[in-house]
Amino acid sequence: MLEVRDLRSGYHGVTVIKGLSLEVGNEVFTILGANGAGKTTLLATMARLIPLMGGELLFEGEDISKVPPWESAARGIGYVPQEKGLFPELTVGENLNVGGMIGDRDRQERVDEIYELFPDLAVLEDQLAGTLSGGEGRMLACGRALMQDPKMLLLDEPTAGLSPLYVDMFFESVTKIHETRGVGIVLAEQNATKALEVADRVMVLSLGEAFVIEEAGNLTTEQLKEGYRI
Amino acid sequence: MSTDWLSSALVFGLFEVVMYIGMGFLLHMQLGLAGIGNFGVVGFWGLGMYAYGIIYGGHAPSGTDLIIDIPWPFGDPWQAIASVILATLVAGLGGLLIGWIISGMDLDGQLVGTFGFAAIVFLLARSQKGLTGSEGGIGGLDFPYDIGSEKANAMLWLLVASAIVIAIGYYTWRVHRSPYGRLLIATGQNEPLARSLGKPSNLTKLWMFTVTSAGMGLLGAMFAVIVHFLTPLKLGVDVTLAVIVALILGGAARVWGPVIGVLLTVGLFEIVVQLYAPFPDSWYRQAMPVVKQIIYGMSLIVVLMYRPLGILGDMRRDKLMRSIHGD
Repeated sequence: MLEVRDLRSGYHGVTVIKGLSLEVGNEVFTILGANGAGKTTLLATMARLIPLMGGELLFEGEDISKVPPWESAARGIGYVPQEKGLFPELTVGENLNVGGMIGDRDRQERVDEIYELFPDLAVLEDQLAGTLSGGEGRMLACGRALMQDPKMLLLDEPTAGLSPLYVDMFFESVTKIHETRGVGIVLAEQNATKALEVADRVMVLSLGEAFVIEEAGNLTTEQLKEGYRI
Repeated sequence: MSTDWLSSALVFGLFEVVMYIGMGFLLHMQLGLAGIGNFGVVGFWGLGMYAYGIIYGGHAPSGTDLIIDIPWPFGDPWQAIASVILATLVAGLGGLLIGWIISGMDLDGQLVGTFGFAAIVFLLARSQKGLTGSEGGIGGLDFPYDIGSEKANAMLWLLVASAIVIAIGYYTWRVHRSPYGRLLIATGQNEPLARSLGKPSNLTKLWMFTVTSAGMGLLGAMFAVIVHFLTPLKLGVDVTLAVIVALILGGAARVWGPVIGVLLTVGLFEIVVQLYAPFPDSWYRQAMPVVKQIIYGMSLIVVLMYRPLGILGDMRRDKLMRSIHGD
């Protein structure tokens, strides 16, 4: 579904992702890596928020290397950034509605589905997003992206800084989203143990390069340590 | 019914209040909704004002024609109506150009960019004698009708301006409640994220800036008619400041914010103090403009310190806080 060919990207002339190639289908694909490995840069590039320095990005066989971010979203790539994934002065309900501006299905039907997936949000419908706790905010950011009915969801460290209760709840939701909605998921994570539990395949990213791409069950601790440069 | 109490000065004061409310609505959409900083309100307003004077066929005080002299095939009121429309379009084009230039800038850059635009408009008005009459200005801009007296003409023009401002207010209210408005708010709050919502948020923002700049130009053109005479002195930064102060005072995020803000600032000074306070005439000419700016500035500081969201604030947030903490 999403194919990356010899991708190079970064900021202000500094190359962070250095010639990466991978393919992600309808699966949960986890990207692991230490701080600074390039996980956020890779996901933001996939979402077309950062321009490519080189290589190609294909979605469902079509080149999206140069399309604007709103068009990649319209084609079915949903993106949940690590931080600032909400519109703080809009309510929970309004955040979801803004997320649902594209798509053919009835918007309220989609909102109801999100509330079913994250029941806590239903209670907070009229609350401003800026007043939510970290965990509630992540759920809302994820729900907002799901309102677009994406085919592929890019989640950038969704559990960073969350309490263990929320971490468990979030990983359960990831599995549920993939299984019930048929959404392919690219999950960038630091929490290797939990991420590997839900992943089909995994890539260990090291200094902007794919150290290893492997079935989740086959990844060894040595590979992980080496990829993390421990 | 006698209208003796309605002096020409009061009609003009009311026109200013109505005009500033309209400008407040427009700036509210730019700043309060889309988060675009505009410190060049007077530039778009002045562009519309001067464009009207030039297109309509105003002339330099000496009576000589300006270098642009459109041979209108029809007279007033159609000549004035067409001129207002064209002046609005000119201001809209200015908005499109400046909006495109500042679209990639942060708030500081937007403020500087729009301020620069206002400075350019001012310099053009002051220096291009053949085009704008330079310091001498443009005259010969009468009402496009005559219903008996100057005051009656001005009253009718005030009603027309009021209708336009009510329409702008209604448009603002509709934008608040539309998906387009929510996209604008989202863009204003978190532009990088708004880009991934599946809609061209940058174009939405640019379109809104263009339309609202055109609206400022429209109000400038309306003002040109009621003052009859344009000079660069009308393009002072105090116009921009008055709109910004009123908006922040009233509440930049609320539709009614500009109305409350303008009534408390322009309304207070241009009507209550100007017409009814018992001060000597010399005070109005010399002291009032300075006192007014000082009070505007102090009010701004007090509001930003104690009520940063303005007098109306964000009622939705206030309601939420009351529900959490009680009254």
